[in-house]
Amino acid sequence: MSTWTQFDPAPRRRIDETIAATALVVRRRDSLAVVIFVGIGYLAAFLWAIGDLAMRPSAAPSLIIVDDPLVRMFQRTGPASFEAVALLDTGVVRLLVSPIDVTIGLAIAGLVGLNLGLTYLAVVQPTACGIGAGSGLLASVPALLSGTVCCGPVILIALGIQASGLLLTLFAWLLPLGVVVLFASLAYVAGRVDVANASS
Amino acid sequence: MSVALQPTDMPDRHESVGVSRRCFFGAVGSVGLAALAGCLDGSFAPISGDDGSAITSAPPTVDRSLPEEYTTDELDEASLSGGPGKDGIPSIDEPEFAAADDPPSRLSPDDPVFGVELNGDAKAYPQYVLVWHEIVNDVVGDEAVAVTYCPLTGTTQGFYRGASEFGVSGRLVNSNLIMYDRGSDTWWSQVLARGICGPHERAYLSEFQVTWTTWGQWRERHPETAVLTENTGHARDYGGDPYGQYNPRTGYYDDESLLFDPLASDDRFHPKKIVVGARSADGALAVPKSALRERGVVVGSVGDIPYATAYDEELDTGYVYRNPNDRSVEFDGSALIVDDNEYEADGLPLERVIGVDAMWFAWYGFYPSTEVHG
Repeated sequence: MSTWTQFDPAPRRRIDETIAATALVVRRRDSLAVVIFVGIGYLAAFLWAIGDLAMRPSAAPSLIIVDDPLVRMFQRTGPASFEAVALLDTGVVRLLVSPIDVTIGLAIAGLVGLNLGLTYLAVVQPTACGIGAGSGLLASVPALLSGTVCCGPVILIALGIQASGLLLTLFAWLLPLGVVVLFASLAYVAGRVDVANASS
Repeated sequence: MSVALQPTDMPDRHESVGVSRRCFFGAVGSVGLAALAGCLDGSFAPISGDDGSAITSAPPTVDRSLPEEYTTDELDEASLSGGPGKDGIPSIDEPEFAAADDPPSRLSPDDPVFGVELNGDAKAYPQYVLVWHEIVNDVVGDEAVAVTYCPLTGTTQGFYRGASEFGVSGRLVNSNLIMYDRGSDTWWSQVLARGICGPHERAYLSEFQVTWTTWGQWRERHPETAVLTENTGHARDYGGDPYGQYNPRTGYYDDESLLFDPLASDDRFHPKKIVVGARSADGALAVPKSALRERGVVVGSVGDIPYATAYDEELDTGYVYRNPNDRSVEFDGSALIVDDNEYEADGLPLERVIGVDAMWFAWYGFYPSTEVHG
C-alpha cells in the first residue's frame, strides 16, 4: 500500500465529518440562529471594511442606479472588489450596491457564521473538548482587511503604515487566504463536534 | 525656457494602437465567482473616444527639456500597484457640470476645487469628487483635456489629450499617480508629465495650469464658471474621503505618515507641507506656500536664472515666473511691483512657468535637486 492511500481515508473522513456537522448546525434552531446573527453582522462589517457601507445620517434618502448595471457589476475596482451599480441612501447609512461584493461578502459571512455556529455546538456539548471561539473568529479577520480604496489598502491608510511591495502583494491574497483559513477552521471545529450526541 | 505651451505648440502626435487586456484575477483565484467575474472585466469592452469611435491615437507630446533625475528604467522599477487594477479607479469620461449659482449641494465655499481656465472657459472640479476618480477627460475652451488629481501627493495637473483619453493605471511611483493613455497604452507619470513605460517612453505631455483653490474663491473670480457635479456615471461615496479631509485638514493630508517609500526624502519641512513647485530646463524650484502667503512674492534663482513666484491672495495660489533679465519684482503690501509698475499676480510681464501645488515629500522625491525659495 502506498503512502498516499494510507493517508487518503483521513481527509475523506474529515470532509464527511465537516459536512455532517455543518448540516447539524443548520438543522438546530439555536445554532442556526448563531449562524444568521453572526453572518449578518459579519456581512455588515465586511461591506463597511471594503467601503461599500458607511454612516451618512446627513444624506437624504435616495436611490441612484448607474447605466448598464449588468455590465458594470463585473468591472473590478480592486483585487477582489467590484463596481457598485447603485447608491442607496437610507437617511442613516449609505450602501454602495455591488452585487459581486455582496456575493463575496455573503459567502464569507456564511463561512464565518458556520464556523461560529459549529463552535457554539462544540461549546454547549456536555462532552466538549475544550474548544473556544478563537479559531473561527481569527479566521474571519483576513477577509475584513482585504479592502483597498483608491491608492492603497484601507487598513494601511487608516493606521498610517508604510506599504512595501511585499505587503501589497500580501493584501491581494488576503481574501482567498481568508477563505482557505475559514474552510480549514470549519474542518477543525467540525472534528470536535460529536454529531450523534449533539443531534439528540 | 518656458514649459507653458499653448495648444498650438502640440507637435509630435504619435499614432499607435493596442489597449492592454489584462485579466490578472488569477492572482486571487480561490474565489471562483470573483475570478469568473474578473475575466468579464470591463477592460474587455471596446474603449471609445468623445465621438464614440475607438481610440487609436496617443495624446499629443511636446519637446520639453525638464530635469530628469531618474532614468525611465529606475522609474519603471520604482512603480508599484496601489491595490486597484487598471481603471479600478474609474476616470470620469462624460462629465456633467452645473452653473456657479446651482452647485452640488455638498460643495461648501471652503472646499477645495481645481480650477481651469482655457480660452475664456472656466471650470471647477471639486476635490471631493476627483478623489474617487483622479482623472476627468473633458473639453474646456474647445480643447480636449484631462484634469488630473493624485490624492497621495496632493497634486493637480492638466494635460492636453488630443483624440485620446487618460485612465488610471492603478500603479504609483513616488506615491504619485501613473496614468495611461487609451490610444497607445503608454504609462505617464503625473508630476513628471513624462512617459515612463510603453511606446512613448521619455516623451513629455503638453500641460496647462490648474489652480488649487476653494470653491468660494474660484466662484468669486469666475462667476460664470461651471462646476463638476456628482453625476459621474459611477456610484461612489461622495462626501466621504478615504484619506482624510481638507476642510479642515485631517488624516493622511495632515499627518506625517507616508503610504509608500519616497524616491528620495528630505526633512527640511513636514512631508505634507504644501509647496508651489515648478520645473523647466533651468532646473526645479519649490516655494513653501506659507512663505508665499506671508511675503506676497518670493524670489530666488534656479541655476543662474532668477525666478519670482507671485501670490494671488484672492485664489490663494502662486504663479511662477522666469526672470532672466533679473527685473525688480516686489510686493509693497498691497500690490506687486515690477520695475515701478503695478501688476496682477497672474499678469507679471515675465515668462510664466507652470506651477504645481504639491506635498513637499512628493516634490522632493521627484526633484531632489530642487531649489527651495523662501
